[in-house]
Amino acid sequence: MHSVARQDGWISLLIGALAIQVILLGIWVVAKSFPEDTLYTINDKLFTKWIGKPISILYILYFIGVGSLIILLFCRMISMWVLPNTPLWVTSSLLISVCMYMVSGGLIVLGRMYTMLSLLLGLLIFFIIIATKEMHLMYLFPILESGWGKVFAGINKAIFSFFGFIVSLVIFSKVEGSHVQKLKTIVYAHCFVTTFYMFTVFASFTFFSTSELKLVPEPVLYMLKAFTLPIIARIDLFFISIWVINVATTLATYLYMASLGLSDLFKREPQSHFIVLIGVIIFIISIYVGLDISRIQAFNKVVTNSGYIFSVALPLIMVPLSYFIRNRRKGESSS
Amino acid sequence: MGIFTRIFRNNRDKLADRHMSEPSGEKEVQCSRRLSENVEYILGAFHQTNDLKIRVLKKGEAALLYFESLAEHEKIHEKIFAPLEMGHADDVFQLPNAKKTSDLEEAVRTLLRGHAIYMEEGKKEISQFSVTSSFGRTPEEPQNEKVVRGAHDGFVENMMTNINLIRKRVEHRDLTIKYFKLGKKTNTNVSVIYMDGIADPTLVQEIETRLHSIDSDMIHSPGHVEEFIEDQSNSPFPQMLNTERPDRVAANLVEGRVAIMSEGSPTTLIAPATFFMFYQAPDDYNMRWFTGTFVRLIRLFSFIIAVGLPAFYIAVVSFHFEVIPDELIIPVKASINEIAYPPIIEGLVMVIIIELIREAGIRLPAPIGQTIGIVGGLVIGDAVVRAGLVSNIMVIVVALTAIASFVVPSNELSTALRLLTFPLIVLAGTLGFIGIVFGMLIILTHLTRLHSFGVPYFAPLAPLSLVDLKDTFVRLPMFMMKLRPKDAHALKPVALDPSREWKNRDGQNQSKQGSPGEKTSSTKDTKQ
Repeated sequence: MHSVARQDGWISLLIGALAIQVILLGIWVVAKSFPEDTLYTINDKLFTKWIGKPISILYILYFIGVGSLIILLFCRMISMWVLPNTPLWVTSSLLISVCMYMVSGGLIVLGRMYTMLSLLLGLLIFFIIIATKEMHLMYLFPILESGWGKVFAGINKAIFSFFGFIVSLVIFSKVEGSHVQKLKTIVYAHCFVTTFYMFTVFASFTFFSTSELKLVPEPVLYMLKAFTLPIIARIDLFFISIWVINVATTLATYLYMASLGLSDLFKREPQSHFIVLIGVIIFIISIYVGLDISRIQAFNKVVTNSGYIFSVALPLIMVPLSYFIRNRRKGESSS
Repeated sequence: MGIFTRIFRNNRDKLADRHMSEPSGEKEVQCSRRLSENVEYILGAFHQTNDLKIRVLKKGEAALLYFESLAEHEKIHEKIFAPLEMGHADDVFQLPNAKKTSDLEEAVRTLLRGHAIYMEEGKKEISQFSVTSSFGRTPEEPQNEKVVRGAHDGFVENMMTNINLIRKRVEHRDLTIKYFKLGKKTNTNVSVIYMDGIADPTLVQEIETRLHSIDSDMIHSPGHVEEFIEDQSNSPFPQMLNTERPDRVAANLVEGRVAIMSEGSPTTLIAPATFFMFYQAPDDYNMRWFTGTFVRLIRLFSFIIAVGLPAFYIAVVSFHFEVIPDELIIPVKASINEIAYPPIIEGLVMVIIIELIREAGIRLPAPIGQTIGIVGGLVIGDAVVRAGLVSNIMVIVVALTAIASFVVPSNELSTALRLLTFPLIVLAGTLGFIGIVFGMLIILTHLTRLHSFGVPYFAPLAPLSLVDLKDTFVRLPMFMMKLRPKDAHALKPVALDPSREWKNRDGQNQSKQGSPGEKTSSTKDTKQ
């Protein structure tokens, strides 16, 4: 993000978050008109069976792709920072098996795990707060030096970190509560994520100067590496360890969505077979791409671009379609 | 017609004696008029066992049968012969403390329960007298759940004494007790105890159906019952609370949980249980809440040490030396440098040695147990370091872990924790911090997935319920625990109505007293 928008990256992040908020509203409108359906059955109803099924399959492929990308980025970070000699298949198979165990418990277990583990975010924030004492607000200035064009180009990069919001469309019907409550939850969640990102970006942008930041691949970790607590010399290692949990929960979410898609597609209830199947597919993809940075980046590009289609374009297409269908349904019921 | 229905009604309304539930559906054998045939039948039913005593009375016209191993001679005298001698009754059949039947099978069952039966030639009736002898110890404080302050009595092997201890503590009509006979050969009495109107009826129903479905020859302890009725057998964590303390059972009953007792064992099972219940001790509620909270936190901290400390240490020395502050690196490195084995082997060996010492000491008489402790702990610990097999820091770490694992008030959970150390050590030895995080994640997922009788096991942390945290990590003052914990699914959520109104009243009084004073002062002010 910084590479494009330089010190104004945080503005891009903010604008990106606002744009996502609009899309979230759209998703809410779509999901509200199908209170009983998951994303996959909504596809069937909106695009008719012949177009809906392929779209569902593409969605599943997209989720698998994101899952593999998460695994790859995570394993790369692990091999660079913590375990340089451990082969890729060990870390990725471990992570995937942990996630499969988590997902096989169903949505309730996932929800409970996430609420419990979200307490750990407090610890991450604490670590970053330690770093803020070295803040130099000077580094943020001059604001808008690189111009609005660059800022908008930065949005492109910033928006990717928000792509997880598509979850709300998949599991909307599985959650209890009124529509307004759900909307509130979605909005609050998004606000929290935005604040957390903003906080992190702010901390790292103010810690490193503009010219330094170009050279640093993982600013937060490098930032934490410089600090020492009286008992712990290297905070970054603990940061990574807790970050692992966040990565695992994200991967578990994608695993859940993909397996839910498969079980909806084949109309079979026991999800556990599908979970194992998708876990194996993700594992194979991650091994195939490997830790080579150029291949990861190519893969990253493919996934990010398809992310625009699946997380932005398709939901936006769904909004007018769902209005149309709802009106038609109303017309049928009244006549 | 009217008379007929009245007779019918009368028959139906007639009170029947209530006693422990009989295994129903058994055949009924009417006794005959001939005494010798009856005696023959009963002897045959018991396969001519030698401790069945037959006393012939009235010159061969009557017989008194009882197990001399089950009945008490004094009671026989007191219940049967003394009233006759005193002239209260002319005949044994007229004694009021007898229970009458004409079913020989029932007589066989009551004989087994320790009753004496009396039969006479030419009568189709049997009198049964309860003359059971019981040898019980006094309700002493259980060895494994001692408290500093509070009640010092504990359950014994006799179920009636145990229920008596509970009824004394919960003097309320809602306390309900249901008996079951389990075990086809042992016929063990098992009782389910709950507060009607507080405990969730579906929970009670569920426990009953699970108990009914047990079809085993023998039930010898609550642990046996536990294995049959618990939700998830493939788990190291205990899903029902074991206790021998009446006060603990009473408190849990009032919270809306269900207790299961069985004859012949002082241990009571409490369901549903959550993970954090195993960290509560009765002592917590006898202390001031500051100290209670402090002790709770220490205990939960011990959980982290017991599970994670050896793994953490191994991960640090084998992967992440840079985590240690600079000043410590040299001493730590120096102590490890001369050890031939990698830290993971060191750790595993030491943890296993501690387990050996513990297991060796547990069943030996106290004096020998102490010797084992000294030999094992001091001699081996010292020698192993000097011989250069294990580093001295590893000894410190493992000893701390052992101590921490004994802090847990429940023996079952403490064993489970020590078991969990091993996989974590292996993960830490192979993948460092990342391995530990994965291991912890698996444990947490497992805890989240566990259910005990339909109640999430890791409540109130997952699902997160901030209100219920008041009695888990901390122990807030009693008057703040207004609601029962949600995890018990109690019918009545409110456990406590405002109990400290006097404080408000005092405050109001003060303000009333204060306000005229203020007025006067203000008037003074205006005057001035």
